[in-house]
Amino acid sequence: MKNMDLCRHTDTVNELLARYGVKFGIYKNNEFREQLFPFDAVPRVIGKEEFAYLEKGLKQRVMALNCFIRDIYGEKQIVRDHVVPEEFIFASSGYLAQCEGVLPPKGIYAHIAGIDLVQGKNDEWYILEDNLRVPSGASYPMIARDLCRRSSPSTFKEYHIEDNRNYAQLLRNTMDYVNTGGHTVILTPGRYNAAYFEHSYLAEKTGAHLVTGNQLIVEKDHLYFIDYSGKKEKVGAVYRRISDEYLDPMNFNEESLIGIPHIYDIFRKGNVALLNAPGNGVADDKGIYYFVPKMIRYYLDEEPILQNAPTYLPFYEQDMEYVLEHFDDLVLKDVAEAGGYGVVFGNKMTKEQKENFIELLKSEPRRFIAQEVIDFKDIDILDNGEWVPRKADLRAFVLMGEEPVVWKSGLTRFSRNPDSFIVNSSQGGGFKDTWVLSR
Amino acid sequence: MKELRFEYSMKLEFETPVEKHRFTLKCVPRSDKRQKILDLNIDVYPKEFLSTDEDSFGNQCIYGYSEGSHDHFSVLLTGRAVCGLSSSEEDAKEARTGLFRYQSEYTKPGPEITAFTDSIRITDDMTDLDRAILYMKALHNRFCYVPGVTTIDTTAEEAFAGGRGVCQDYAHILLSMCRMKKIPCRYVVGMLMGEGLSHAWVEICQDGVWIPLDPTNNLIVDDQHIKISSGRDYKDCIINQGIFVGRTVQRQTIHVLVSELNGRL
Repeated sequence: MKNMDLCRHTDTVNELLARYGVKFGIYKNNEFREQLFPFDAVPRVIGKEEFAYLEKGLKQRVMALNCFIRDIYGEKQIVRDHVVPEEFIFASSGYLAQCEGVLPPKGIYAHIAGIDLVQGKNDEWYILEDNLRVPSGASYPMIARDLCRRSSPSTFKEYHIEDNRNYAQLLRNTMDYVNTGGHTVILTPGRYNAAYFEHSYLAEKTGAHLVTGNQLIVEKDHLYFIDYSGKKEKVGAVYRRISDEYLDPMNFNEESLIGIPHIYDIFRKGNVALLNAPGNGVADDKGIYYFVPKMIRYYLDEEPILQNAPTYLPFYEQDMEYVLEHFDDLVLKDVAEAGGYGVVFGNKMTKEQKENFIELLKSEPRRFIAQEVIDFKDIDILDNGEWVPRKADLRAFVLMGEEPVVWKSGLTRFSRNPDSFIVNSSQGGGFKDTWVLSR
Repeated sequence: MKELRFEYSMKLEFETPVEKHRFTLKCVPRSDKRQKILDLNIDVYPKEFLSTDEDSFGNQCIYGYSEGSHDHFSVLLTGRAVCGLSSSEEDAKEARTGLFRYQSEYTKPGPEITAFTDSIRITDDMTDLDRAILYMKALHNRFCYVPGVTTIDTTAEEAFAGGRGVCQDYAHILLSMCRMKKIPCRYVVGMLMGEGLSHAWVEICQDGVWIPLDPTNNLIVDDQHIKISSGRDYKDCIINQGIFVGRTVQRQTIHVLVSELNGRL
């Protein structure tokens, strides 16, 4: 693979990515800056059989997560049966009481799930995180593949790789499946959103209208899209890239200027599909992650195929004891944070930091989870022509329609810093294409 | 049991006209185990697009949109209510009561409420209702009814620390205290016999039914309260919520009149 023609084209592909505006924005010190998302040409390669195994496990997981959300906003059997303590539901920031008793079209809550995995040195895959709210990232390997094929066609003759450019079709199928009758739109907060490139790219590729909140309007019981000529067209599905709190100032954060007033009211009536459904963050909270294997057993009566990273909940006394005893071996995560923030390694704290942290942990045990540090398998990247190993994860995309479908690719993110385990793009990492072999 | 006649009127006047006005009204009382609503009539102005629905807390909502320019917005609601049919409200939806055990935006206790609640001695043989009544009495003795000191944005802790407030504050503080002890309880908006503004109180869930307590008046609700809506706190029960386009000064007048029709039945 080291002689692969594609590797000679890294710079070309990066230049093309820059020209196509494949950037993402970061807010730092109240300033918006856009930066390129560095691409590394060495792909992550997953064999056909290995992917089939991942696929089975991911489908199982997303099915169970959907069952869980439906149960939580309905009868809450899993709480009644003492599998999940109610604190983890009602005190979670992802739980929205406004969603109680509301059934989205076709009963789907997590249409597009981005599941983060890592592969350990023992080759075993572990689930790190479930992202169900507005997971982003699919557009990067999509466009990178396209540009790689143009830059080095011979590489794609030589290797037998599943074509990942079908993501748009899979997404379209999901949107069409839940559409209640009318146009399909992708709702973006606008040009200054971190993932604006992705919003526009997915709109272009799926044939959906790319809209901002002020182009949508609720009249009586339906949602309309106002086109360039001022004509109103009914909308049946909204792939919204706006978080729950900003979606509708009449139902959630009243100060939101990017949302659509009353959109939630007509959603509640079943007159428009929102992808993903509001309130589904109750299932991707880091505290709830601990319970996902239990959910799989509870709802599907199956053994989980993919494992969680070994996780402890200080909420349980027994786990608290373990965490305090093995503090230096663990990574601690604040359940309310995302994007690589709020993650601390026990062995990297000073004595004072540790004491303060333990005090906080004891006063708010529900706020944290602790995990064994997984020694992930390194993946090579090209660094100034040299092959060097770096930490990397994989975000797999699962789309839920009539049946769950796993996209035969994924976003591989890596840390450019040799000592870092944190691969989030908001922390300055790069990305790779993910190849799934077709034979 | 009493038969009451009610009239709720709200008028919002804009100094300069506004447009693109969106609103959600939660002002419609409905029949339940405790009250029966009759001859209900609602008049909303302006009403280009009007629709109705029930929110996740079971409250009746009227929501609408008025695109054109208008210089006032008004709601007039009239009807009759037979109150005090039962001492408890509708049976609790078991699956949902859990959510009312947790603090919400307005009710999170700070050091003042925490210390006050902990200073009230409760014993194991007391039911949740006994405890709630005890808290209500203690609060009533400690807190003073003074209008104009707090606003609709004042939290339970802020109000309690200030020692003075109105029905909204009494309700939030009592909710905060009960939730500290994991007693499921919710905020209620409604109308009280007499003339004035809308009123707020609390319901406690015990043995599968909701029991209303009025901390402002230190009493268990009987037949003088007409319930409109309920939720976790004030925010779930805002009677009139709206947004519009326009630079203006608005003035709101609310008038509630509840009178007894036939004396004691």
